[in-house]
Amino acid sequence: MNFDALPWIVLFLPLTAAAAIFLFTKRSARISAALSTGAVVASFILSAVYVGIAGLEPVREDSHIWLQAGKLLFEFGLLLDPLSLSMTLVVTGVASLIHIYSWGYMKGDEGFARFFGTLSLFTFSMLGIVLSNNFLQLFIFWELVGVSSYLLIGFWFERPSAADAGKKAFITNRLGDFGFILGILTVWAACGTLNFLLLRGSASMLGAGATLAGLLIFCGAMGKSAQFPLHVWLPDAMEGPTPVSALIHAATMVAAGVYMLCRVLFMLNPAALQVISWVGGFTALLAAVIAVQQNDIKRILAYSTLSQLGYMVMAVGLQGPTPAMFHLTTHAFFKALLFLGAGSVIIALHHEQDIWKMGGLRKRMPVTFWTFLAGTLALAGFWPFSGFFSKDAILAQAQHQHAWGLFALGLMVAVLTAFYMFRLVFVVFGGTERTHGAEHAHESPAAMSLPLQVLAILSIVGGVISVESAFNRQFDPQQHGASFVAQLLAPFSHAPLAATLGLLAAAAGFALAAKLYRGVTTDPLPARLGFLSCWMRDRFYFDELYEATVIRAHDGLSAIAGWIDRWIIGGLAVRGTHGTTELIGRALRLLQTGNLQTYAMLVALGVAILLLWVVFC
Amino acid sequence: MNVGLEHYIVVSGILFCLGLLGVILRRNLLVIYMGLELMLNAANLALVAFSRFNNQLDGQVFVFFVITVAAAEVAVGLALIVALYRRRESAHVEDLASLKL
Amino acid sequence: MSILTHILGWPLIAAIALAFIPRGNRPLIRAVALLATAASAVLAGIMFVKFGAAAMNEDGYRFVQQAAWAPSLGISYHVGVDGINVALVLMGAIVAFAAACVSWEIKEREKEFYILLMVMTGGILGAFASLDLFFFYFFHELALVPTFLMIALWGRGEQRTYATFQITLYLSIGALIALIGLVALYLQAGAGTFDIPALTRHLAENRLSEGSQAFIFPMLLFGFGILVSLWPFHSWAPLGYGSAPSATAMLHAGVLKKFGLYGLIRVAVPMMPDGARDWAWVIAALCLGNLVYCGWVAMRQKDFNWLIGYSSVAHMGFAFLGIATLGLVGITGAVLVMVAHGFLAAVAFGLNGYVYHHTGTLQLDQLGGLWRKLPFIGTAMLMAAFAGCGLPGFANFAGEMTVLFGAWNTFKTITVFACWGALIIGAVYMLRAVRSILHGPLSEKWKDLPDAPGYWRKLPYALLLGCLILFGCFPRLLTDKITPSVAAALQAASLIPAEPVPQNAPMRIPQRERVTNLHPGNSAGSDRLASAINKP
Repeated sequence: MNFDALPWIVLFLPLTAAAAIFLFTKRSARISAALSTGAVVASFILSAVYVGIAGLEPVREDSHIWLQAGKLLFEFGLLLDPLSLSMTLVVTGVASLIHIYSWGYMKGDEGFARFFGTLSLFTFSMLGIVLSNNFLQLFIFWELVGVSSYLLIGFWFERPSAADAGKKAFITNRLGDFGFILGILTVWAACGTLNFLLLRGSASMLGAGATLAGLLIFCGAMGKSAQFPLHVWLPDAMEGPTPVSALIHAATMVAAGVYMLCRVLFMLNPAALQVISWVGGFTALLAAVIAVQQNDIKRILAYSTLSQLGYMVMAVGLQGPTPAMFHLTTHAFFKALLFLGAGSVIIALHHEQDIWKMGGLRKRMPVTFWTFLAGTLALAGFWPFSGFFSKDAILAQAQHQHAWGLFALGLMVAVLTAFYMFRLVFVVFGGTERTHGAEHAHESPAAMSLPLQVLAILSIVGGVISVESAFNRQFDPQQHGASFVAQLLAPFSHAPLAATLGLLAAAAGFALAAKLYRGVTTDPLPARLGFLSCWMRDRFYFDELYEATVIRAHDGLSAIAGWIDRWIIGGLAVRGTHGTTELIGRALRLLQTGNLQTYAMLVALGVAILLLWVVFC
Repeated sequence: MNVGLEHYIVVSGILFCLGLLGVILRRNLLVIYMGLELMLNAANLALVAFSRFNNQLDGQVFVFFVITVAAAEVAVGLALIVALYRRRESAHVEDLASLKL
Repeated sequence: MSILTHILGWPLIAAIALAFIPRGNRPLIRAVALLATAASAVLAGIMFVKFGAAAMNEDGYRFVQQAAWAPSLGISYHVGVDGINVALVLMGAIVAFAAACVSWEIKEREKEFYILLMVMTGGILGAFASLDLFFFYFFHELALVPTFLMIALWGRGEQRTYATFQITLYLSIGALIALIGLVALYLQAGAGTFDIPALTRHLAENRLSEGSQAFIFPMLLFGFGILVSLWPFHSWAPLGYGSAPSATAMLHAGVLKKFGLYGLIRVAVPMMPDGARDWAWVIAALCLGNLVYCGWVAMRQKDFNWLIGYSSVAHMGFAFLGIATLGLVGITGAVLVMVAHGFLAAVAFGLNGYVYHHTGTLQLDQLGGLWRKLPFIGTAMLMAAFAGCGLPGFANFAGEMTVLFGAWNTFKTITVFACWGALIIGAVYMLRAVRSILHGPLSEKWKDLPDAPGYWRKLPYALLLGCLILFGCFPRLLTDKITPSVAAALQAASLIPAEPVPQNAPMRIPQRERVTNLHPGNSAGSDRLASAINKP
């Protein structure tokens, strides 16, 4: 078998599984789940084999013509370089664990087979994004990922809130895609090609339009990675089942925006990067503040994801693609872990999601508790967990670029992150059981707790398993790989200021959370913060703002169009023509009196006129 | 007084107009029919006058044709009027307006 | 006897044969109709597959057949296909078969209905296959007249009488304007022939005067435009399709509407390039009306049929935009959009008909939660909705992208609005419709709805969706045929420079041509790269 076919098999295996499920095996839940999980695990193994044998470098490309019309060439191909291969491993690996987890989580659901089929479709689309070698193919899979997300968020479609959330996600993503396609068109018009490798050589042809093109392309990332102002869909996306939230809205799909920016970093000029970094930083801060006062376990994690995505985007804007991708990878590990852990809690409490109705779960669900704690420590950025290294890399990049505003912002967000995460841990797992449901909680089955443990291990060691050096091979080959111990201590030697301040920030957040939330039964913050707490809880009213302005404006335009169509085109023009014709008919009808003598007189008159005309003209 | 062509033509014209007025203004079917005959005879008069004053017999020959056609027309027309009268019980032209839209 | 004559002939023969079958024999009637359309579809498929290998005559047409009809006027029965209409004939035949399948819901006067359906099918296929202007127009009218009867007798809704008269009179006015244009073209060209290839050749050398082009082109533009629901002449479409039975709506919205666009591409643009250049900006401006305005109106609709009707009008905007570019990429995209939309409109109206047949309503606020009861139909409807808003994987995406890329340099602002219309407005109304019909809680009155039972009922929808996905994943099947023919037409009219167009390029792009050095200046990397590049 041709070794070069392996990446293609990795890409298309999940699609084959999805097609098989939807066409043939939908009636059998177990076969469908087995097909789907088998496909993604096989993809992971095959991609690991491929990377093991062929290595992360050199850059390879395998491209076909998808559509050609004159000068227009759309390709369909795979680009295999350290960036895409590493991402493939992350995507297939995390997806495999979540597929296994879903066996337990979705047990007994009526749409079990449909769930796995759609998950496979999603995996295929995500791999497509990661392996694309040109903008159009990226856009194709971008859209496919959007549709998979729609189907999965609205999985329990009979619930109006879920159906609405799916619709909102898709349309908000489309708003980003609108900017994205305009950016792609601009790039194509200036450089004549859409292929990433060819664009490297001709990116300078963008000339004066480079900033605009860069910002338009960033629109796509804004939509997919939920940056401000297109961040409103992500919290609502929590309506989907928890494995979906873990896979799509934490680990992979939302990271696609960051991945894309890293892929085309060479096209973004300093002005565009400046905007990108501030948008990322602002999103990080905004989401962290909102998370402080959320009471639904999944929403806290959703806003946390938003905040971390802001971090990654900020890192890209600071010309640090390696820190961004590093954080993306570690975030995939610990955020997926946190979501799966939350799912474990939710199932144990029979679909209860309010943290104030939980409590004392650390004794009843030890595996969940310890893995969740590992994830939290990683997210908060404590040494030696993975999150510390990746966050430090970002802060170090800010320091390196002398972007002190963003540096300070990053530290503030680190404090808030530790604060709200430990608030969550103290309220859910600490204290005593606050409700009946909490008293009867028990640990989840093996299908669910095994992936938790694997992800916990990855969250702990993820910072020192050479992830950063893999991405350095893509972006900064001068850096050399380091040994395990060297990696553990590297932050303190390379950027001591960032490392120590980061650790202090995390510790400060933890201390504040411990002081306020240890052993309490109600939230003390609303009393202290008053109306600010209300604003935080109500997400600063962005949804309402959009509803009142953007949506109403667009609906207003459509109402005007509807009115014109009904009354002016339909009424005046069409029925008007109809009416005018009828009026003329009625007028002419008056000539037909039926009276013989009138006719005779008209004949005589006509003859007289004719005679006059002939004789005198 | 020297009676010339123009006198005949004028008389013919007056007769024609009288007949036309009768067709247009009178309401009884038979009177309308008489007006129609008057118009035909006015045309006959004009034809004979022209024939006499231009010394060509063609006009007078044509008069024979017109008289024949008038006779045939009278036969058919009176038959129709009688049939109509029997249907409608009226010889008033204003009662015959079924072709009104 | 060309395969095309068979393709358009079997439905017409079936129409005559049906006249002899006794009225009550429903299975036989349906069998004859299905067999005839299936034969057409299969033959069209064979023709499509054999297209590349078939012999090409000097005008670039294949499968040609010509028989003189009125030599003194220059009228002959001339059929043939090139890249532009081969896909349209295929699409027409497949949609006709699907329409015949879907007509199981017609329960009264089936004989007359199927006769009309067969006549319509023969007319449409003849119109696309015809290479003689007279028969081009004749076949179109042959296809148009049955719609009048079908909507009047088997239509639905209280407004169906008004709809019947409106659609027939409106389209007849359009056809009349086009006819005047065509006759004027015949007279002004002075070639004494109605034959399209002959006329094109003649006019390539002796171009019509500017004055003639200035009045003939707009007549053809607006005449054909009315037939294709160009804004603002689109009002007949939503009401007409809403009141028509499914098969009529499928055939009309899917296939017959493309006749006008085909006329523009085949007749108007190549024969009157100067007129086309002068009026291109008008077409582009008006297509915004289709794309954006009709999309907005679609957002307001509360009846699903009307929504699909307006959506159908909106999609025509893309084809017009592609034609307005007068360029190779744009017009290729326009033909792609035509083929893709044919399948899409057919499946959308077919599914509507199914839901209407079982629920008696298509009001969005009365349906809801139907996905639970109708898994197959619901999924098909979902796929159709996503195809309608331009999701990759369906042929519409390929067409729309080609048009956008083709139009970007010529009409930048209009393309921006076109993107908005395609991406945002399309998604909004399609998803709102899906939300209202398929999602949400199931109401009591629909709890006994049956899904499409058995393979026969599922066949038309599966076939149409399958074609959409096939051409969506492998658009080269279409563009490799379309592009050379469009290039030939445009080069003959001197609208694009006469350079050879890349044809039959291999699937795989050779690695050798690539610039693959990620890090220029890093010699170690490039050595490894060089050895990788030169790997066979």
